[in-house]
Amino acid sequence: MILLRLISWPYARKYLLRTLLTTAGIVLGVAVFVGMHTANESVLAAFHQTIDRIAGQTQIQISAGEPGFSEDVLEKVQNVSEVRAASPVIEATVSTDQGNLLILGVDMLGDRSLRTYDLEGADTALDDPLVFLAQPDSLIVTRSFADQRGLRANSQIPMKTMDGERVFTVRGIMKPGGLASAFGGNLAVMDIYAAQKIFGRGRRFDRIDVALQDGVTLEQGIAKLRSAIGPGFQIEPPSSRGQQFEATSRIYALASDITSVFALFIGMFIIYNTFAIAVTQRRAEIGILRALGATRGQIRTLFLTESAITGLVGTLAGVAFGVAMARGMAGYIGGLLEEVYGVSQSGGNIEIAPWLIPAAVAMGLATSLIAAVIPARAAAFVDPVKALQKGSFQSLGEGESGLRRRWAIVCAVLSVIALALTRDTLVFYAGYLLAVLAAVLLAPAMALGLARALRPLLARIRPVEGALAADSLIQGPRRTSGTVAALMLSLALVISLGGLARSSYNSLSEWMRIALNPDLFVTTAESVTARTFVFPASLGEGLRAIDGVGEVQLVRSVRVLVRNTPIMVVATDVGSLARRAKLPPVEGDSEEMYRLTAEGKGVLASENFARLQGVRMGEMLEISAPEGTLKLPVVGIVRDFSDQQGSLLMQREVFVKYWRDDSVNVFRIYLKPGAKEAEVRQRILDAFGSRQRLFVLTNRDLRNYVIRLTDQWFGLTYVQIAVAVLVAVLGIVNALTVSITDRRREIGVLRAVGGTRQQVRHTVWMEAMGVGMIGLILGLALGAIQLYYSVEIARRDLIGIDIGYSYPVQTALALAPVILFAAFLAALGPAESAVRGSLVEALEYE
Amino acid sequence: MNRLTLLMLAISASAFAQDPRQIIEEVQKRTRSNSQRYAGTLEVMGGESRIAIKKWVFERLGSFGQSKAVLRFTAPAEVKGVALLIVNHPDRASDQWMWRPNIGRDQRIALQDRSTRFFGTDFSFEDLEERDVDQFDFKLLGDEGGAWKIESRPRKSSQYTHSIMWVKKDNYTITKVEAYNKNGLARVIDYRDFEQVKGIWTARTTEVFDVGRKSHTILKFDKLEYDLPLKDDEFTVQALRRES
Repeated sequence: MILLRLISWPYARKYLLRTLLTTAGIVLGVAVFVGMHTANESVLAAFHQTIDRIAGQTQIQISAGEPGFSEDVLEKVQNVSEVRAASPVIEATVSTDQGNLLILGVDMLGDRSLRTYDLEGADTALDDPLVFLAQPDSLIVTRSFADQRGLRANSQIPMKTMDGERVFTVRGIMKPGGLASAFGGNLAVMDIYAAQKIFGRGRRFDRIDVALQDGVTLEQGIAKLRSAIGPGFQIEPPSSRGQQFEATSRIYALASDITSVFALFIGMFIIYNTFAIAVTQRRAEIGILRALGATRGQIRTLFLTESAITGLVGTLAGVAFGVAMARGMAGYIGGLLEEVYGVSQSGGNIEIAPWLIPAAVAMGLATSLIAAVIPARAAAFVDPVKALQKGSFQSLGEGESGLRRRWAIVCAVLSVIALALTRDTLVFYAGYLLAVLAAVLLAPAMALGLARALRPLLARIRPVEGALAADSLIQGPRRTSGTVAALMLSLALVISLGGLARSSYNSLSEWMRIALNPDLFVTTAESVTARTFVFPASLGEGLRAIDGVGEVQLVRSVRVLVRNTPIMVVATDVGSLARRAKLPPVEGDSEEMYRLTAEGKGVLASENFARLQGVRMGEMLEISAPEGTLKLPVVGIVRDFSDQQGSLLMQREVFVKYWRDDSVNVFRIYLKPGAKEAEVRQRILDAFGSRQRLFVLTNRDLRNYVIRLTDQWFGLTYVQIAVAVLVAVLGIVNALTVSITDRRREIGVLRAVGGTRQQVRHTVWMEAMGVGMIGLILGLALGAIQLYYSVEIARRDLIGIDIGYSYPVQTALALAPVILFAAFLAALGPAESAVRGSLVEALEYE
Repeated sequence: MNRLTLLMLAISASAFAQDPRQIIEEVQKRTRSNSQRYAGTLEVMGGESRIAIKKWVFERLGSFGQSKAVLRFTAPAEVKGVALLIVNHPDRASDQWMWRPNIGRDQRIALQDRSTRFFGTDFSFEDLEERDVDQFDFKLLGDEGGAWKIESRPRKSSQYTHSIMWVKKDNYTITKVEAYNKNGLARVIDYRDFEQVKGIWTARTTEVFDVGRKSHTILKFDKLEYDLPLKDDEFTVQALRRES
């Protein structure tokens, strides 16, 4: 403690800016980690909270995936003697003029056994539920929703239904709390049979909520219900819902973990760099301490403690920053889930998991301690005699350099070997780590080599300043290599993320060209992925009769559980689809696979489904459906981007038979030759638009929508890119700040022999841009390797699709001026610091 | 209308005085008819002195466990056409369906939901059933004010654990019923304004008091008729849909 107070604190105070900048990498890494996990957890918590509050006293929920099931299941459930109450439910999210609403369609007669409707005004609507039941436009809303939108009893809310726009009447307002606080209060209750009509559900329910008789256990209840209604249904407690959200959020968590680990890795280098330089600068101080009797252990502990404190400060700042970012991220993730899965998440509170802060602290501290191990060891082994001699010790010892190179080669060779054994996941990730380690170990030697190679160029640009800048780089490898390594890693991350995005867009464009080639799409929502509303199949005949319409394909897309994972099942006339939009096969014969599927003898699996689920060609799939277990073999594997979790394509008749659901989500329309898109679109709207909910999208509209959705997915990627660039810039500032301090005497001499302030500035600027250039070159090179691994990780663990390797040349070209400019900006402060220093003091330095 | 209401008329049979089952059998015998129709007016008095008024037409074919009934709301306008079909059985709980013309849907009323209030009144769906005497066990509790006090316990599923009825000795009309569930006294039903229609003593006014909610419902009979020609096929779900 004494040493900290007498030795460390004055040093830190003297170089306060450097100390703060040193923590920057930790701050950002921890902030990304805390922010993303908090956002993920908050969105999930909000979802689970909504489930719990809506569930009320429900002990078991019966469902059959998104399509739901026929009404007649309800009677079977109600006839089970172990059932105390069974209430059917339809749950859907709609957009209204008053904002998004989660609509709960329930049977008011029996639902009050499961849920508490605490209404205001002496329970008006439910004191007289007859009016509520008799009038299909009846709604009960929450107090918070009513207040926000100025609603009272008998207020009217317009809503787009399957029968066109309808006006609904508020017939009751729920007091806050309980059910009314689900979904952030944006909840409305209506009669379930009215909801069936509004959402085009026909005679189907989404699920049945069940409470059991006293004394009946959950297991007994589930067993009895299974026996009564047969297989093909999910019968589980409410807490089991939300698997699809958790699966998606896991992907986000994995991606953000990779980014935060990278940021921490970069932060580690910044700290290592700073401490390595500090050890060099404080050699005399260390020598004195050792001469006075301080042990090696005490010296080592001193530096490790300094690093730990630095890490702790950075971690705490990162936590605060991360929590502040979390709200925005939660809104973003929630919005994306709504777009893709059609279920909204209201803003809600931010919830920090109890494990997160300790984990963040542990990460930050571990990073800073690991970073300081080598400098602390070096400090502990400083020779007291040599330490008290004047001189620079910047050059890397040949032995040390050689050792690094040998280790780098070992790591590189092992990494290449691991490539050959990539089936094993552990080996694959070990190989990845070794590749990065090899690059980091080689960074000083490569930086030195590049600095020597750049010297002629820099000297050509500005003979004096350029040469001085290059010499500074060559003679100060310790100072430079850490920053170069940090910059290299940052830019490699940027290249890999950019490459992923580019490959994804390329693959997606190709898929859209093949799969999304109809001229028009008739959908129930502007968002083509929303499945709240459905069309009756009979609309298809009406569309075929429209002048200019050549072919109409009916498509039903629903999410069902397959091997405990929510998978998108796409049901259509596969024969018709094969003639128009045959997806390229990944495995299997193209003609055969489509023929078998059209005959109902198999399913086509998407590549990501096959990979993520470990499913092979010919493997028999069992899919639980309300009308029994559907058993079909996988007759082909195709590249399909329909869904992140994977998709199965099956013949429409098979789906109708097993789910008793002939409704339609999308009509794909091909025009007759010569027909004009805009005219046919208008004819459809004229014929059907006024009497039912219907949107007609052109091919361009849909492609733009898919691109926009993809942009949203990669939105967070761009945040990660910004993080990487910021960390790199901070690293350069840090290195230059150290450099200026280190070279005060040198700069003083330069000015004393006639160098102008402007020349000093130019020298510093060029040194910074030199660091930037070296880091850029190394980063672009490492980025090529990093991109390979990123594509593999995406294929193996994230999306299951091989999106192909495509080096982002444009990103690389764009990075050059950005990094050079960033380096220039980073140099401005240190350059001014260099020219403002007192000449006399500088010459007296050391 | 409900099973207790239909037990209101009785004939004197002093030979049955002490056997509660026989008393109730006599009550049923005196109220038996081939069919019934009336127009009813409901006044529901809830909290804050709020009164809601509804009107319906009730038709019944048969009696007690062998009967079918249709209840169709005629006022107010928002609820006109909503109907309830009740098919009673001699050996088990009734089957009930509700018809809502504005939605065009019929809906079966589940057994678990029979204890809920009937459309905002203080009757429950179960109270609208008619059950044969064989579905209860009876016990004579004594005399009170010229009436037998009889306890009945349902043998099959019911929201009630037991009921206590007061049956007038002179004309075998039920004047009061107290219905108990596991939480205690749930409802009190008073019958008054008795009138003989085609030889059947009928209470023109029935008042139900919900003990828990502290609310009243008063049902007044109007245009009461017995033994009129009604067709069996008018008491089906299909008929409910047709009539709307």
